[in-house]
Amino acid sequence: MRARIGEYTARATESIRSEPGVRESVTGATLAFDRKRRNAYADIDSDHWRHWAEAVKNHTLTHLDDYLTQAEERLEANGAHVHWAADAAEARDIVTTIADDGLVATAVKGKSMLTEEIDLNPALEAAGIEVLETDLGEYILQLLDEPPSHILGPAIHKSLQQVRDLFADRLGSAPDGDPDTLAQAARRVLRDAFIHAEMGITGGNFLVAETGTVALIENEGNIRLTTSLPRVHVALVGIEKLLPRMTDLAGFLQLTARAATGQPIGCFVSLIQGPASQPGDDGPEEVHVILVDNGRTDVLAHPHAWEALRCLRCGACLNACPVYRQTGGHAYGYVYSGPIGSVLDPGLLGLHEAMPLPFASSLCGACFDACPVRIPIPELLLEWRREAQEQGLTPWKERAALAGLASVATRPGLYRLAGRIGARLGGTGAARALPMLGEWARDRALPRPSRRTFRELWREGIE
Amino acid sequence: MSAARAGSRERILERVARAAAGRERTAHPGNLGTRVAADPVAWFVKVFTSQGGEVVEGEGTLSAGEWLTGFLRGLDNKVTGVAVGADVPAELRPQLPVVAAAHAGAGISVAWAAVAETGSLILPSTGTRAVQLLPPVHIVWVPEGRVFARLEEALWELRDELPSAIGLHSAPSKSADIGQTVVTGVHGPGRCIAVLA
Ligand code: SF4
Repeated sequence: MRARIGEYTARATESIRSEPGVRESVTGATLAFDRKRRNAYADIDSDHWRHWAEAVKNHTLTHLDDYLTQAEERLEANGAHVHWAADAAEARDIVTTIADDGLVATAVKGKSMLTEEIDLNPALEAAGIEVLETDLGEYILQLLDEPPSHILGPAIHKSLQQVRDLFADRLGSAPDGDPDTLAQAARRVLRDAFIHAEMGITGGNFLVAETGTVALIENEGNIRLTTSLPRVHVALVGIEKLLPRMTDLAGFLQLTARAATGQPIGCFVSLIQGPASQPGDDGPEEVHVILVDNGRTDVLAHPHAWEALRCLRCGACLNACPVYRQTGGHAYGYVYSGPIGSVLDPGLLGLHEAMPLPFASSLCGACFDACPVRIPIPELLLEWRREAQEQGLTPWKERAALAGLASVATRPGLYRLAGRIGARLGGTGAARALPMLGEWARDRALPRPSRRTFRELWREGIE
Repeated sequence: MSAARAGSRERILERVARAAAGRERTAHPGNLGTRVAADPVAWFVKVFTSQGGEVVEGEGTLSAGEWLTGFLRGLDNKVTGVAVGADVPAELRPQLPVVAAAHAGAGISVAWAAVAETGSLILPSTGTRAVQLLPPVHIVWVPEGRVFARLEEALWELRDELPSAIGLHSAPSKSADIGQTVVTGVHGPGRCIAVLA
């Protein structure tokens, strides 16, 4: 995915000004996710679980070469093909070559941030292969030709009415259909694709070294179908996704689900060791696992940012973030948005490419409290800010303006004050009246502040 | 067959090793050790049903196959044709016409085991994956004495006899991608019924 992070300030402004529905949808969804996450943490000794998960990931990342080669050995012994891709172009070439060799006309896909990162769909389409996203949210976005805006709920920025209009137009469903009817309309199209596709493409939540197991978590069943019915399965897995042992996986499957959606485990988990090779075994004839670097070894080499590679892509930090909630993910301009995007993108893309994300935060710490692997996001943000300043990367005015936005997003009192003054002055007068916000808000409308703080809303469980 | 550039594997591994070179290599913390409840079956029923799964217990006087036939006929969707996993023993099959999974009113599988703490049914690929996924109702036999308290124990035992794939089914198929409203039966089965043998 081409990064458009440099436009963050302008895109955030545009989103707030001309798409008030986005803020409403994103706030509703993230508050609901976050409430469920907090309840699910309360059910377990979450401190103990999170410290344990942090330690397993740190152990893995400091022994990563050993675990990568062990996983490769196990997968090959299981009959899977293992490929290594240094960058996005190489990963795309590997997938298109596999598709070519397998005479693939149609591919079905499970939700995968990594395939967004490497821009896989356009490459497959250019090779003449029809690609269908099968996660319901991703399917909606594919019809709209939009990127995902949240790791877990890619289409949370869309309202029911927007989906109604889209499906009425593209699938011929009733213009006033309820979510059930709309889901059934998508199911009919995708069911047919599952049965006829020659290739299934997924990411991988984890790769267990000792058994060569690719683990995938989901709720819809589309990933199980994607990895079960087509003749060829291709899993693209970031090299940081390793876990040493199957027993580790037991903890991580549960912790990821609790952090992401508050469930004890995803409705469906696929554990894939290889192709169906024994008599009586059912599944794809070919399984390919592509181990992708694409900047991860740069992150690993960074003295601080390497900790971001523990990330499970659960989305809990996005849900907890008052700044993310204002705009949703698109403003961030890259596949990884919100707090984790702000610390990971500078490592993956280079700090210059990822400016001004490290400044788009109030450092309130809610992301760290939510993170199941205790990534010290606020500390990493400060580290990137320090490096950016050292390299003279942002004009101080924009830095101050973003700090101002982040700060008022976190403190509705200040925000309301700005709003009240604004009501009297009209338009963006209030923001201009606040010294920190003036630069940012010139010619821009600010969103209506909530009457209560986000922490109050959490406490009251209002979605 | 691969389009990978020559040397990518070595270069990635070399970069990984170099990145970690100056860093303290920390130890593995051991097992997580989640908590255990006294009765795994009751615990399984509680967690599985809390996520939308259903649990029934086969009744004593009938054979398992006869009981299942009656149960299927009584379902809302009035099952007339079923799809049955390749590994389901004859005595656990209903007396109903067998049809392709894509057209069946229900799919019948047998679990390798169930797990209490996550409310999961462990389905090996030696069953039939289409049967586990395509029909609107999925009925899963759980053999007696095969409910593990914890997922860690189940995966530990599975480790040495892994088939090519495993599915853990812990609830019906769900999505909240449209207007944040939960709908069931999106792609996979809308009902998942565990039968405790
Ligand atoms: S940084 Fe932590 S909370 Fe955020 S997505 Fe990654 S694992 Fe989840």
